[in-house]
Amino acid sequence: MINFDPLKQEENTEVQLSRRDFVKLSSLASLGLFVGANLVTGKIAKGNALLADSFGPSVFISIPKEGKITIMAKNPEIGQGVKTSLPQIIAEELEVRWDQIQVEQAPLDRRYGAQFAGGSTAVKTNYTTLRQAGAAAREMLIEAAARKWNVALNKCFAKEGVVYQRDTQLKFTYHELAETASQLELRENPTLKEPKNFTLIGKSIGGVDNQKIASGQVEFGLDARPKGILVASVERCPVFGGKIKSIDDSAALKIAGVEKVIKIEPTPDPTRLVAGVAVIAKNTWTAMKGRRALKIEWELPEGEAETDETLRSQFEKNINSNGEVLRNDGDVDTAWPNCKKIHEAVYEAPFLAHAPMEPMNYIADVRADGADLWGPTQVPGSAMGLAAAITGLTPDKIKVRMTRVGGGFGRRLMADYACEAIYLSKELGKPVQVVWTREDDMQHDFYRPSGMFKMKAGLDGENKLAAWHIKATTTSRYAFRGSSDPSYKTEVFPDGFPAGFVPNFKMEYLPVASKVPRGAWRAPGHNITAWLDQSFIDEMAHLAGKDPIAFRLALLGEEDKEMPYEDHGGPFYKTSRLKNVIKLATEKSNWSTPAPKGVFRGFAAHFMFGAYVAEVVSISMKDATTIKLENVVAVCDCGTVINRSGAINQIQGGIIDGLSATLNGAIHIENGKAKEGNFDGYKLMRINEAPTIEVHLVDSTENPEGLGEMSLPTVSAALCNAIFAATGKRVRKLPVNLTEETKL
Amino acid sequence: MANFTLDVNNQSLKVDVEPDTPLLWVLRDELELKGTKFGCGKALCGACTVHFNGNAVRSCSLPVSAATKGKITTIEGLSSDGSHPLQQAWVELDVPQCGYCQVGQIMSAAALLQRKKNPTDDDINSAMSGNLCRCGTYVRIREAIKLAAKKGGKS
Repeated sequence: MINFDPLKQEENTEVQLSRRDFVKLSSLASLGLFVGANLVTGKIAKGNALLADSFGPSVFISIPKEGKITIMAKNPEIGQGVKTSLPQIIAEELEVRWDQIQVEQAPLDRRYGAQFAGGSTAVKTNYTTLRQAGAAAREMLIEAAARKWNVALNKCFAKEGVVYQRDTQLKFTYHELAETASQLELRENPTLKEPKNFTLIGKSIGGVDNQKIASGQVEFGLDARPKGILVASVERCPVFGGKIKSIDDSAALKIAGVEKVIKIEPTPDPTRLVAGVAVIAKNTWTAMKGRRALKIEWELPEGEAETDETLRSQFEKNINSNGEVLRNDGDVDTAWPNCKKIHEAVYEAPFLAHAPMEPMNYIADVRADGADLWGPTQVPGSAMGLAAAITGLTPDKIKVRMTRVGGGFGRRLMADYACEAIYLSKELGKPVQVVWTREDDMQHDFYRPSGMFKMKAGLDGENKLAAWHIKATTTSRYAFRGSSDPSYKTEVFPDGFPAGFVPNFKMEYLPVASKVPRGAWRAPGHNITAWLDQSFIDEMAHLAGKDPIAFRLALLGEEDKEMPYEDHGGPFYKTSRLKNVIKLATEKSNWSTPAPKGVFRGFAAHFMFGAYVAEVVSISMKDATTIKLENVVAVCDCGTVINRSGAINQIQGGIIDGLSATLNGAIHIENGKAKEGNFDGYKLMRINEAPTIEVHLVDSTENPEGLGEMSLPTVSAALCNAIFAATGKRVRKLPVNLTEETKL
Repeated sequence: MANFTLDVNNQSLKVDVEPDTPLLWVLRDELELKGTKFGCGKALCGACTVHFNGNAVRSCSLPVSAATKGKITTIEGLSSDGSHPLQQAWVELDVPQCGYCQVGQIMSAAALLQRKKNPTDDDINSAMSGNLCRCGTYVRIREAIKLAAKKGGKS
């Protein structure tokens, strides 16, 4: 009935995982811990060619007898650029020009290893395996040529899709070698290129879909519904944790084009299904109209309805109680009397919505003999695992295709909307696309956890940091999903700077329970902790009468150290690299020269997920309470850069995202539900508010790191520190609100 | 249900839909012109921007019944082959990240360049501030509009 692309038709007999395996796999994938299986094995080599007559040494590469070479993009493309950068790595080792290849999106298939978008991990975890995949193919093509010529391997070399015989005019194109190479054993341990010989890695390559994007031809999830497939619009209980009491669907069913109304019962796990009523119709508008005609009585959860105030009172209680001690160096309690200056402040951060531009949607076609799933997700493996759980089908009967994703930011690490499509298709016995509205998206998000943070620090007689105490309380996202992981995970980071540099250092944590759904929001945890740490360091530098950058560098010390870091991006970070980005940002922003009249600067630096970032934000004031963003200078050390243009784009985008959230981002809770419903209430930065941004990438041969998240956290503190420089007011509660009485 | 005749990309097209159906859903669901995107449904984000008699309008908030007396241009009609100077500039400067909002951005920019051949930063701000980019590609959008203007950005 549905015309799928040929990739999906491919025989995939090697996928024989049990459902349990898949649940395990998908949950690991969503944590960002799963590292790909061995991708380059002899078993994979045969039978994977996209086209019958082509050389397919692994699932990643297909070289036909004529035409373009195809390289598969294994992971979901959510705007982080991996559909370009991962194939770029393969093409480098394959030894081809970029214009000789085309890129195709891979389906979900375990032979590709882990396929998800999260934790900025794709480039760093796939770098070596993808190089091996490209190099193995190159060596096999060279071997094929050597056999044809009957010469030694070292007489042959590959360049730009051609194998040459040294000191002769002889050559074969890769196409001409495809057939012979197909008969060879896969090279298990190919020799990788010397980085100095790279021709593609480190260069700027435009996104592979750019032409199609600019002409409206690229397929996002919402565009992927074949004509004739039904659409579902779901009214969910607006109060988190509610249930359905009664439904009157008589008016909805009278609307021409409405086919059916289906009740959705909530699952015990709130990350799967929440209570809702789906209207199934022949097209999107009719489904939305039918939904508006529903009359539903909800059964609200027991107890007092949650509000910002009820959550706040729990935060306040917690910061005045003892929390779980996550780090305790020296003894802060005995250190205070010896401090010459002590400073205390309370910081507060709100819930944030992800609000990717493409609203949630997913297509499922569940049949008795199998299921097809497709749509925008960061976790196609989770969609498959959940489909197996919901339908009872074995994973080998479930095919998952990936569309381009209109933004992720962590929202699509949750597969709740895919669960809806799977469940509804199963109930209907027909394929269906679930389409969320913007209001659905904003009111049924998994929000960035909110929190309150009591900070206290002391300076000794030499104005050095002698003690630092943070007491954190947040609406933990791990606690929300009922995880066995500790609730402080990705809320605070016990090894983050300045821990390890202050002789007396204590970190305490207390979670707050809430029905408000929480999840990973771009740079989870760091998007608050970098703001806290780098704002409070600035406060202490000011108290010490020191330049804020000099104060940080003094704290890091002359000696280069490897600081233990038991979190994502660890097992350690190097102070030499952190100091380097700080010094470069100082230089590139002309920090030592006073800012032009009316311009005020703020600085911050942060390590996360393996990358080092320092940023200087320059602002001016339109009036006493209105900020104008002028410029941002960003210095980033992410190791080896794969795609320079893509890297700069990510850094610029993260900065805009961070500034936007700092200035305007907040979801408020009223009567147990989210107050904001669209972009009028939940404001995002627009082009007229955006500053100019200068990005400097550190020239490095270290292992590559991801870049999707790292530029964001630093910019909040840099902005707030600039606001202090401009107004003398500290921003300790986000979003920035200078009309409010702000403590000096 | 009612019949409407629309002038879309210089073609006269007939549809049979409810009169209150927004043009966006007629384009996407009935005419299979899926380049125009759904983002907010309330004319707040600009993802659904098309041209109506040469002006940039939000198709999510324009009922089909109000769209019959004018020329509609969607991204599919901006150029037949992606060769509009703005489309070329978008590719040349590698503007997109996720790419979802970019059609709306290009349609707003195309309407701007028809009015102003060499827009200033203020012109760009006022013409483009109705288009959100959640990925934050504003720096490159601004550059790309200027590049297209330099190359003669008319459709």
